Amino acid sequence: MRRWVWGIALAVIILGAGIWGYRVMFPGPERVIRERLALVEKLANIAPNEAPLAKLANAQQLAACFTDNPQILIEGTGHGRVVINGQRDLQDAVRAARSQLTQLKVEFLDVNVAVAADKQTALVNLTGKATVPGDSDLMVQELNFQMRKEGRAWLVSRVETVKTLR
Amino acid sequence: MDNSGGRGEITDWLTAAIIGRNPRRTLIRIGVLVVVSLLIFKFLLLPIRVEGVSMLPTYKENRVNFVNRAAYLFHPPRRGDVVAIRLAGEHIMYMKRIVGLPGETIAFHEGKVFINGQPLEEDYLRLPTNWEHPPERIGADEYFVVGDNRSMDWEDHLKGRAQREKIVGKILL
Repeated sequence: MRRWVWGIALAVIILGAGIWGYRVMFPGPERVIRERLALVEKLANIAPNEAPLAKLANAQQLAACFTDNPQILIEGTGHGRVVINGQRDLQDAVRAARSQLTQLKVEFLDVNVAVAADKQTALVNLTGKATVPGDSDLMVQELNFQMRKEGRAWLVSRVETVKTLR
Repeated sequence: MDNSGGRGEITDWLTAAIIGRNPRRTLIRIGVLVVVSLLIFKFLLLPIRVEGVSMLPTYKENRVNFVNRAAYLFHPPRRGDVVAIRLAGEHIMYMKRIVGLPGETIAFHEGKVFINGQPLEEDYLRLPTNWEHPPERIGADEYFVVGDNRSMDWEDHLKGRAQREKIVGKILL
């Protein structure tokens, strides 16, 4: 009797390992999108005493997370309006931000991913939080990210503010 | 002289104080307490920490409070309620006061709120304000929310119409 119990336990373990391995090797679109957004979040952060070469590299990597013609429209109360059209504008804006700010902490919270039926586009709704360490100012904004699949990569095609209070 | 009797009494007393006379009953009580706490803080009361100045002087920064998720189980949000409004989720929420109800028209004139043309008494306001804003219609499923700190410029204060589904609950304390 003990043999077949061990046999079943082993089968369950092998099955579980197989499912886990499959998910690791062939992740679903939602997981890939979440990883992409985690990368965007990481690259948007500006560390203190960031070296100029690192600033340039991070800016380029961040821009590479977006499509060739991204549109960014962000409005924050008391913080004005940011409108960016195209990769060149995006790269210029990122470089300008990195040269003006010595530190910036960006967090993406409550990330909700909805992949379209065609699995080529997705809409992500999240809360963006940006703080400058040591400064009491805090910018919080609900954002919609439109994602598009290009080849095997999911890239950001559009970012816009969601007006929680209209 | 033998002190083991004295030591034994102290040990017994400590054990009774920590575990109780009936360890099994103590364990059951701890289990019930944990389950009840989890249920309360998962489904009923959401702990929050206040950040920002928009609700001064009513709520100060870094104070801890709770959102009562069950406040609107049996009736809709009411004028004057201080509520939590979620963004994409509940990690960060806005804390604002409801001043306008669905279907009403709201305006600001010389700092006073006007609802359907009638001035609203707001005893909770302590800071001076001179806001001006033309009449605005509130939708059927919307509430107009604003902070208590209206001494800042109109453009710098976050306020507006919140959809009912975004209102998580009422601030408890």
